[in-house]
This record gives sequence, C-alpha cells and structure tokens, in this order.
Amino acid sequence: MTTNADFLLALAAMAAASYACRLGGFAAMRFVRATPRIEAALRAVPLSVMIGIVAPSLGTSGPAEWIGLAAVALAMRLSGNNDPLAAMIGVAAVAAARAAGL
Amino acid sequence: MSRPPVPFTAAGVVRGLARGSALSPGVLAYGVVFGVLAGEAGRSALEAVLMSAFIHSGSAQLAALQGLATGPFVAPIVATILLTNARYVLYGAALRGWYGAAPPAGVWPSLFLLGDGNWAMAMKEHEQGRHDGGFLLGSGLAQFVPWTIGTWIGHATGSAIADPRRFGMDFMIVALAAAMATAFWRGRASLAPAGVALAVALAVHAWMPGGWTALAAGLAGAGTAWMLHDDER
Repeated sequence: MTTNADFLLALAAMAAASYACRLGGFAAMRFVRATPRIEAALRAVPLSVMIGIVAPSLGTSGPAEWIGLAAVALAMRLSGNNDPLAAMIGVAAVAAARAAGL
Repeated sequence: MSRPPVPFTAAGVVRGLARGSALSPGVLAYGVVFGVLAGEAGRSALEAVLMSAFIHSGSAQLAALQGLATGPFVAPIVATILLTNARYVLYGAALRGWYGAAPPAGVWPSLFLLGDGNWAMAMKEHEQGRHDGGFLLGSGLAQFVPWTIGTWIGHATGSAIADPRRFGMDFMIVALAAAMATAFWRGRASLAPAGVALAVALAVHAWMPGGWTALAAGLAGAGTAWMLHDDER
C-alpha cells in the first residue's frame, strides 16, 4: 500500500479532468436559455445515447449477443419495462449461449 | 420562469440504491478486472483503489494505466480522459432541466458519481414523473462502492479470477442500454432522432471505434430533434 508524490500529482490531474466532464455540461447549461427547441433536443439525448451504446455490438457480435438482445426485448415486454431485470436476463442469456458454444 | 424546487430526500437515495444495485454485480466484476490490470501494470493496491475512487470511469482508467506506464507526461493522459469522458458533458446538460432546481449540496456529489448506468436509470425516473434528486446519488453509490471494492479484490487476488466474459458481464451495459432504449421510446416522435442516431453510431463505429459512438449518437439524435422541432406547437 504505497504511492509517491508523482503519482498523486498525476491522480489529481486525472481526477480533475474526470470531474470536469461530469460537471461541465450541467454547469454550462446554466448560461444557455432553455428554449423549447433546446429542451426537445436534450429530451432526445437518452434514447440516442442508448442506441449509440448498443450499435457497435450489432455489427461485431455473434449469435450469443443476438440471443441476449432478443432476451432483453422479450423480458422488457413480459416484465412491464423492468429494465434492470431485463438487463440481467440478457446477461444470463449471453452466458448460457456462450456456455453452449455459440 | 422559475421552477418548483426539486426534493432531495433520503428516500430518493434509498430508491436509487435499490434500483442501481441490479447493476452492482457487473460493476464489481469489472472493478476486479481493473484491479488485476492495475496490479500487472505495477500500480500498488492503494493507487489502484484511488484511481477507481477519483477517476471512476472504466475506459478512462484503462487509458490512464497505459499512459502512466509509458511515460512521465500527464498532459496526454488528461487529454485522453477528457475525450473518453466527453459523453458525460452531454449527460450533465440533459440533467440540467431537472437538477437545476435541486439543492447544490446534493447536486455536486451526485454529479461526481455520474456514470452510464445510473444516468440512464435517473433519466427514466424523471420521465416517469419521479423527481427526487436523491436517486442519482443512490444509484451512483450502487456503482461506486462495488467498483472500488472490486478494484481492491482484483488487485489482491491477481489474475486468478475467472474471465467475466464467461458470465456475460461484458454484455451488461449493452443489455441495459437496449432495455433503456425500449423504455425511452416514444412512438413516432422517436423515429427520426433514433434513426439518425443509429446511422451515425454505425458510421462512427466503423470509422473510428472506441469511446466515440455513444457521444456521436447522442449529438446526432439531439441535433435531429432540434432541427425537427416545431415552434408552433
């Protein structure tokens, strides 16, 4: 359990960069007048970001991941949009598919 | 236009903890992986845990490990962290309409714990009409605690730990994002922003893979909604 001054200085800079990203957008929006148009744009962000997270796996993944996505969609339908549960079922489906050699 | 103040209660924190804890096993597994990698890269247990506590972002920490190992220069590492975490700028902007009216003493620590999973969960809470500001803090803690503890476990046990891929843990964030996408879907109004976001995400992924697709898709969807917005309505 040791460290040194060089690491701690680097850590402080890294932490500041990380926190700046987390605060930056929130703080900047204080100075932007929230017109209905801007609010409509920001409302579209969550769905778009989720699509951006899923999209890379559509092109590069195999049958296990496809089964996982189908399991998520089915679980969302059957559970009345319980998303953490649907995500865990998707993970379990991927694990099972990989165990089966897919 | 003044908004009604946003409550920030212990009950909201507890609700966030409960909802967020569904993600904790996956976060713990990835904390373990980071701990193993940090040990292999020559960082001490204390250093690994400090990185997880204060940078608190998997992709940024991996980049930082590599940067710390290759040279004494901090500027390139900081630049990499700013790029890998740029999506958080967008997340924070989207939170303004809700958290702008919350007590600052609750907002600043909540934003410190901002991550992909708890942000998505919090945005859904807000959409469903639950506005307690404690949610983001609680769901953030449900990621922060297993992330730092997992890092320590990984560093202590080394590479003896099983491959998280075997348990499908690498699929957790994709599965959650897919579930969230169906929850955020608002019928035909979502079609154009979602379609543009998907096209841009696929193009960006093919062209420059890495941490860019989520940010690019978010900007593309927001831009589409901005252009299509009808001021008359």
